Amino acid sequence: MLKDKIEKHLLEVQKPSRYIGGEVGSVIKDKSKVDVRFAFCFPDTYDIGMSHLGMKILYSLTNERENYWCERCFAPSEDFEAVMRENDIPLYALESLDPIKDFDFIGFTMQYELSYANVLNMLDLAGIPIFSKDRTQELTQIVIAGGPCVCNPEPLADFFDICVLGEGEEVNLELMDLYYELKKEGATRDEFLRKACQIEGVYVPKFYEFVYKDDGTIDHIETTNGAPEVIRKRIIRDLDKVYYPDNFVVPFTEIVQDRVSVEVLRGCIRGCRFCQAGFIYRPFREKHAETVCRSAKNLCKNTGYDEISLASLSTSDHSEIDPMLTKLLDYTVSEKINLSLPSLRVDNFSESLLEKIKRVRKSGLTFAAEGGTQRLRDVINKNVSEEEIMNTCRIAFEGGYSSVKLYFMMGLPTETDEDIVGIAELANRIIDLYYSIENRPKGRGVQISISCATFVPKPFTPFQFEPQDTREMIEHKQKLLLDSIKTKKIKVSYHNPDVSMLEVILAKGDRRLCKAVYAAWKKGCKFDSWDEYFHFDKWLEAFEECGIDTSFYANRRFEYDEILPWDHLDYLVSKEFLVRENKTARQSKTTPNCRLRCSGCGVNKKVGRECF
Amino acid sequence: MFLIRVRATFEKCGRAKYISHLDLNRCMLRTFRRSRLPIWYTEGFNPHPYYSFALALSLGFESSCEILDFNLNEDIPFDEIKDKLNSVMPEGMRIIKVAEQKQKITAIAKAEYSFSLVSDAVDSLYADVNKLIASPEILIEKKTKKGIKTVDIKPDMEILTCNKTERSVDISMYLPAGTQTNYNPTLFIEALKKTTDIAFETENIRRTAILCADNTVFE
Ligand code: SF4
Repeated sequence: MLKDKIEKHLLEVQKPSRYIGGEVGSVIKDKSKVDVRFAFCFPDTYDIGMSHLGMKILYSLTNERENYWCERCFAPSEDFEAVMRENDIPLYALESLDPIKDFDFIGFTMQYELSYANVLNMLDLAGIPIFSKDRTQELTQIVIAGGPCVCNPEPLADFFDICVLGEGEEVNLELMDLYYELKKEGATRDEFLRKACQIEGVYVPKFYEFVYKDDGTIDHIETTNGAPEVIRKRIIRDLDKVYYPDNFVVPFTEIVQDRVSVEVLRGCIRGCRFCQAGFIYRPFREKHAETVCRSAKNLCKNTGYDEISLASLSTSDHSEIDPMLTKLLDYTVSEKINLSLPSLRVDNFSESLLEKIKRVRKSGLTFAAEGGTQRLRDVINKNVSEEEIMNTCRIAFEGGYSSVKLYFMMGLPTETDEDIVGIAELANRIIDLYYSIENRPKGRGVQISISCATFVPKPFTPFQFEPQDTREMIEHKQKLLLDSIKTKKIKVSYHNPDVSMLEVILAKGDRRLCKAVYAAWKKGCKFDSWDEYFHFDKWLEAFEECGIDTSFYANRRFEYDEILPWDHLDYLVSKEFLVRENKTARQSKTTPNCRLRCSGCGVNKKVGRECF
Repeated sequence: MFLIRVRATFEKCGRAKYISHLDLNRCMLRTFRRSRLPIWYTEGFNPHPYYSFALALSLGFESSCEILDFNLNEDIPFDEIKDKLNSVMPEGMRIIKVAEQKQKITAIAKAEYSFSLVSDAVDSLYADVNKLIASPEILIEKKTKKGIKTVDIKPDMEILTCNKTERSVDISMYLPAGTQTNYNPTLFIEALKKTTDIAFETENIRRTAILCADNTVFE
């Protein structure tokens, strides 16, 4: 039995409880009574994957169906992977401890580009053919993918049978229902895929062929097998009615987000031009305060967690934020539960709520300013003014804080040296503010940490056309910033620009990249998001061997009228709007948030109702 | 202040044996919260529910006798406490008994362990085990806070049974436990590995009793 084989080696590895299941809240079924088995795979380790909210939702939702069984599967850490390979332990699911190669669906959630190589490694560990074309015609082992990265799934298109665009709550079950029907009829894989691609939100990559021009750009896309020319993402219309679990799997080992998380809204009204989530999750929809509180209470009761966080892109944009937090705080305070409130904008709070929050809030003060000057912040439509930053800092300093963390991006479109120096100047003004406050924390100096990432242009944003700065440009800017800082009160840290370069290639790449992803994995690339495993040299070798010019994807401006690798996927936001926003950005003009004024991105027309 | 001091005896078997001691703490906190028992919270700046395990159990060991002490704010029948906890315990963990705290934790002196040594050459292994047991001293290297120290575990070790089956040698023994000295059966197994050439694998290490100095069960 696989279980015995696993247990024999489990004590040789770090944190073995990650590999054996049995957690409170995990769902065990009698497999003789199950018709469709789904392995929900997260292409990273347990500690990270278990923190992912989408997995929790789809896990519970699928398991509500008596005859469907959804189980969890994660990438093993290096030590356990070695044990697995040495002892012929195939990748297995945590509930039944059965090999996932025997499952009907093997579903990956693609949350970040740097997890791509892990998908290949997991398929290999599972003993499932890595390329879709190598899988049998038998109706089993359907490898599907969802999550934000499938808004451009092309660099992985050769590996997935199906990509599910948008929100999975409805379409996942529709796919499983179809599968169940066809399985009974003894259909083949292709017969299933041909029917599946008619479901809205279902993209079957192999039914699409890309024809390229001499200059390397896309000439046109040919569809086969009656697949639709454009695939539109799925959305849930009413968030108050959509399924939300009232139980989570409660891990034994500590995970990244070890708490109850309650979803409060989807989408974002802000439209920051660099932010992919802000566009691909449109339209903005919220849950009522009642629904949110009910979920929070149920989850705390059933899991035993004593901490809640609110999941959304921007919680403070909820129209009922004040009553919602007031209600939640009444509950959490009486039950000794800690409510963590990340990234709140202070401007839309009442005084009394602010008081309450101050009492429970422990986390430090962080600001995603992104750009060093107001002009640049206008370009990226980050609607945060210096006045707001200063106001929030003032409140925080008066409340006893003495350190601030500021996040910036380097290499933003239209950025000049002035914008880089502006980062240092902004930090200096915060320092001056601190010392101008009479009741600042006694006897403590102020500490500003500046963290700079390299800008990564992403599909379905107004900056999707933009090139990324080259390494030399970024290095120049990093040096300039360091030279502009004259005080030890400011600390600067940089993200590795090579990581951002790989990100942009994988984010904006087309189908020709698949073979490079495969080659990189063959060279040993995996866990690219972990510093100690990131080997850019191997990736570069892989690109070179596959004849891929990385600058074509990373450093080239994509033309407005060029066919982009993701143009056949419809995320509801129109390309004309993205072009318009790109032009507006170049004039350093902002676009108001959706609640103030609709700027006509096209989502409302496609959904058939106004957003607000 | 009104306080009921409670002592629970619980089992930790199956998949639960992979829960480390650190994780067990967190796991118990959530179990208490799920049970909704009126557990007593410490007072002060950062109130948290008070509970403590009498003896840490090594990762990978099973046990049928773990001790957990906690306080309640209300007088609740022991059986009800047991049922409430059992309805929300993780797989492999089960409360066997809930009672009052009779003895002080410092009364713990030893623990009983059992384990199997599985081998293709049981007869020879059995002979080697007996030889080791009969030897005048059993020296092992023990990691302490001050570095590695050589100790003789023989005087403190008490073999209860040592039997041969078709596939294994099954041993049970007492070892010192508690606030002073804590020995763990893997020390004996390591000593055996040094003295025998027979390949074997250890299975089912299990703590079966926590005892006072006079060999009565700690309650
Ligand atoms: S349709 Fe208008 S309001 Fe709705 S998301 Fe687009 S821009 Fe915002």
